[in-house]
Amino acid sequence: MRRGLWLYIGGRLLQSLLVLWVVVTILFLLFRLAPGNPLTAYIDTTFGEEQQTALMARFGLDRPLHEQYLIYLGNLLRGDLGDSFRYGGTVVDQIMEVLPNTLYLTLTSLVAAYLVGVIGGIFMAARRGTRTEKVGIIFTLMTRAAPEFWIGMILLAVFAFKLRWFPSSGTAAAGTIYSSEIEKLLSPDFWQHMILPTFTLALYLHGLPLLLMRSNMLEVMDQDFITMGRLAGYSERRLMIRHAARNALLPVMTALTLGVGYSIGGNVVIENVFAWPGLGRLLVRAVTTSDYPLAQGAFFIIAVIIVILNFFADVVYGLLDPRVGSSDQAKAS
Amino acid sequence: MLPQTQNVESAAASAPIFERPTDSFLSQFARTNLEVFQRDRLALAGLIILTFFVLVAILAPVIAPYDPLQVIEEDGIWLSNEKPAPEYPLGTTNLGRDIFSQLVFGSRAALLVGFSAAIAVSVIGTVVGLLAGYYGGWVDTILMRLADIAFGIPFLPFIIVLAAFMEPNIWNVVIAMSLLLWRDTGRVIRSQVLVIKEQAFVSAARVSGASNLRIIFMYIAPSILPLSFLYGSLAIGWSILTEASVSFLGFGDPNVVSWGFMLQDAFNSQALSRGAFYWIIPPGVCIMLTVMAGFFIGRGYEEVLFPRLRRM
Amino acid sequence: MMKWQRSYKPLLSVLVLAVVLLGLTSVAFAQSGAPVDPIVVLSNTQAEDPIEFETTRLLVENMRQLGLQVEHKAVPWAQYSDTVWFNRLETPEAEGGTGWQMTAWRMVARPERMDPDEFVFNLFHSSTAESGYNFVGYINPAYDALAEAQRGETNQDARREEIFQAQELIANDVPYIYVAHPSLPQLVRTDIWDPESIVDAQGIGIQNFWTWTGMTPLGDQKTIITNTGDDLISINPLYIAGDAPSRITELVWDRLMRIGADGLAQPWAAESVEWEDETNVIIKLRSGMMWHDGEPVTVDDVKFSFEVPNSGESPMYAPFTRRITNIEILDDSTLRFTLNEPWVAFEVASLAKVNLIPKHIWEPLITDLMTKEDNAEGLTIDQAPAIGSGPFKFVDWKEGETAILEANKEHFSPPKADGWVIKILPNQESALGQIQTGELNFLREWEGDSQVLQEVADADPNITLYASPDLGFRFFAFNLRFPPFDNVALRQAVAHVMPKDSIVKNIFKGFAVPADSYVSKAIDYWHDPNLPQYNFSIDEGRQVLTDAGFTWDAEGMLHYPAQ
Repeated sequence: MRRGLWLYIGGRLLQSLLVLWVVVTILFLLFRLAPGNPLTAYIDTTFGEEQQTALMARFGLDRPLHEQYLIYLGNLLRGDLGDSFRYGGTVVDQIMEVLPNTLYLTLTSLVAAYLVGVIGGIFMAARRGTRTEKVGIIFTLMTRAAPEFWIGMILLAVFAFKLRWFPSSGTAAAGTIYSSEIEKLLSPDFWQHMILPTFTLALYLHGLPLLLMRSNMLEVMDQDFITMGRLAGYSERRLMIRHAARNALLPVMTALTLGVGYSIGGNVVIENVFAWPGLGRLLVRAVTTSDYPLAQGAFFIIAVIIVILNFFADVVYGLLDPRVGSSDQAKAS
Repeated sequence: MLPQTQNVESAAASAPIFERPTDSFLSQFARTNLEVFQRDRLALAGLIILTFFVLVAILAPVIAPYDPLQVIEEDGIWLSNEKPAPEYPLGTTNLGRDIFSQLVFGSRAALLVGFSAAIAVSVIGTVVGLLAGYYGGWVDTILMRLADIAFGIPFLPFIIVLAAFMEPNIWNVVIAMSLLLWRDTGRVIRSQVLVIKEQAFVSAARVSGASNLRIIFMYIAPSILPLSFLYGSLAIGWSILTEASVSFLGFGDPNVVSWGFMLQDAFNSQALSRGAFYWIIPPGVCIMLTVMAGFFIGRGYEEVLFPRLRRM
Repeated sequence: MMKWQRSYKPLLSVLVLAVVLLGLTSVAFAQSGAPVDPIVVLSNTQAEDPIEFETTRLLVENMRQLGLQVEHKAVPWAQYSDTVWFNRLETPEAEGGTGWQMTAWRMVARPERMDPDEFVFNLFHSSTAESGYNFVGYINPAYDALAEAQRGETNQDARREEIFQAQELIANDVPYIYVAHPSLPQLVRTDIWDPESIVDAQGIGIQNFWTWTGMTPLGDQKTIITNTGDDLISINPLYIAGDAPSRITELVWDRLMRIGADGLAQPWAAESVEWEDETNVIIKLRSGMMWHDGEPVTVDDVKFSFEVPNSGESPMYAPFTRRITNIEILDDSTLRFTLNEPWVAFEVASLAKVNLIPKHIWEPLITDLMTKEDNAEGLTIDQAPAIGSGPFKFVDWKEGETAILEANKEHFSPPKADGWVIKILPNQESALGQIQTGELNFLREWEGDSQVLQEVADADPNITLYASPDLGFRFFAFNLRFPPFDNVALRQAVAHVMPKDSIVKNIFKGFAVPADSYVSKAIDYWHDPNLPQYNFSIDEGRQVLTDAGFTWDAEGMLHYPAQ
């Protein structure tokens, strides 16, 4: 059993690496097939022919495609994502500068969303069949059906522009420079800037854990050990919170792991509405300005985070599900 | 980001009730569908909403007083930023276009994207799921690794990059979505096929000498068809939302007025600080309603398929 | 075989019929020429540039009324600039290639463009047609002669006459059709800044060096906080990285001269600039200047600053120093610049343009770069610290968020403000919200609907709107190398169907003046007031075509004159 589990994890790890390699290759091809001169963004219109050629050589764009691919793979292995066309500096530096912002936003809103979602899910399960539940579910579905950026727009119009309770964009008031990430996280100003985007994201994200928790609860509540508990005279409340919720929580946690990855990729829109200097905004700007190395790098980092978290979700799933490792019925996450 | 309202795992764990397809394919199909809308009022509401928007889309030229991009002029002056009035029920944009007409025509883009992506997603996902589940072995391995890869590609960034590199065109957005979104459908259908293929009526068919393809498409497929419908109806909403996001970020088709385009236009024309809620609210509400319609219908199918959840 | 023969007979008769019909058609139109080729007009997308997109849409509709088959193609900026700039020599897309026929385009205002030389020479001189600014491919020896003559003409009135003639040639040949000189609207919080201290410079508006250094605080808020929509690409005195970064280099690095509010260059870091003769200039450096790191500014630094662009390590600045053949240090405060030919715009386009950089920081970097493929434009701020001698010191730059400068109180002309901060706000709504809350106090860049700014300024007495017509202009350009726009009558006809007034009124919301030349009316000394005008009239457009021998077929499509 234990050996089976290790085999399962090892297999999953290999698979993740394979997936990553294919994603990286797709990424490479995607960006090589991009239209236009890849240096458009970089080359000023006053450049002469020989300067263009020199630049093509500098970025390795004059070599045959397969050579470019091998160089690209080699560079990736060494953690080198190349240089940005527009900014001159390395892509890694650019990404590292904005990555923390994306993580703060994503993690804070996920934590908030899952807290509310889990509690809301238990509540809904307790109120099964009532009007409250019906209205609650419809409301939750509404939050999942409304475009995030639209909710963001309305919140901006009301709370930032009309009432002026919150700042409308960025991570800090003008002129504030945090000397470190710690200082940034300790600054009340930063959290003020976080509130609207976090709320918008959390509102969208809370639906999945809520619905999941509710349905898991309903399923667990039907199981024998709960029925036994009922017969033994335990209160419904105690049963729900102590026993049912604990069991229903596990799949929700798997979903959370996956959620981190998906949210980082999906933050793109929110970051643009609130001008949040994160990975998603970096990606959109890089794409619109044809800064291909930067766009490719941002895309790559998002993909890596997703693949790693998918792997963790698999591992968690494997650890929790006794069937894994003992049979080949293990289901992919 | 998962498009489904319920969880894949729990759905798979609680195996739906499969019946041997004794009736003809069509009548069974009709019965399931009828059951969905009879049992579930929300699903029925979803169906009504969708039908409403389909009608609006078809009758758009009749309903809309103007062409969506036509500028309303008066003595050479464009009637821009007009508040709602009888001639333009939702006011005009900052360049003098009728917001109501845009809203009406926007339903075409939304439904076009929604339905074509939904069909593509459920067809690809169903076929992948059937083949992987039925044949197992290397077919299964390859198809499921492809699904892993599709799961490893960040969804929205991929759509954006593809939309930016190909001509900004509504079909490219649909293609990009179809390339990734089949993954959920494919996996869930595969796991159901694994259950069904062990059932007696399938073995019986095999014994009686039915070919593999016949078994897949005549015996197994009808049983999982409602599941494809479930994922298809979720994909409607998912793709409409995605198209709106892509348009909002400015990577949409510049010649198609969609609801996402309207919001982008409003956002970039300072409708927010003007407090022009008559411009911002309607497109968002329309998106929300269509997407919810998809969710409602999806839930309807879910509850018929996974009856345990029904008991509440 | 039989079968094939049977089906092949009717096919043959259809073919014969088709050939006969075709022949008849060509006979019927024997007196007219071939139909005019289909046309694709490029513009930016609605999302990226709504004004350009809408203008193009309007013009294209009117062009169809001339009997042209026109398609409006909106493409994202990267593809668009690539096609127009780099594929100018390629066969146009409508003919199956990758090039272009007609496009919307714009030129922006820059201080050095207050002298018309750059536009007069670069836009239409034949030497810049292959890869430079003459992307339309306008080749006219008469024009070349004028462009060269004005460049060496030291008599200002004579030069003006030459520039008028150049403008007339272009107005008649119509390589461009002009739309408007936008007047870029800006908002200032005049409860924070003394409105008297805002300087409106001719042709570039209130956003200029004199405003930044002169803005006087009325209360405790003493930091100028302004905005940009784009990320700052680079802060590097040897690299022109766009509008916002240029505002920063202008403040951090001093220049020998500065362009005054009147558009003329005036001594700045130079105490005096004196012309010995047509090609020799004596510069006397102001004494007591210091770099921000405490080192003194010397004549060696000045000489070095003007030599680096010619070293090949700063291609973007090379055009500004290319004509300097020698720089001689006469004593520890005096230099002599020698030019290879007379150049009237030298003060504006070179002395007031080249940033003075400290030799002690840059020499090792440049020496190192000489051995590499890279040039100094790629240096980041970590590699080349932003040390200048200007009225503001560089403090910090947080990518995607903000850049911060503080006042250099030791400067010979210290700014009245304590600091200058630029916030990167890609979202126009945020920028607008922030000027209202005071998070911004100078809205320098606005991509949205100008009318909104008017509304904001009207509603809040503490916010003042400034908008003065700009040197920059929006226009449509024809690729003169390919049909159909190698035909001047067709270009003139299209010029007639451009509804300038309606565009200014409805699309620009009045925040523009109609343009008729590449020299803005904002610099009225150089703008020719008697240029031929193309009044908006579809009929006049058709008349121009009729006069040139064009005809229309039964479907109303335009045909070339008979050969």
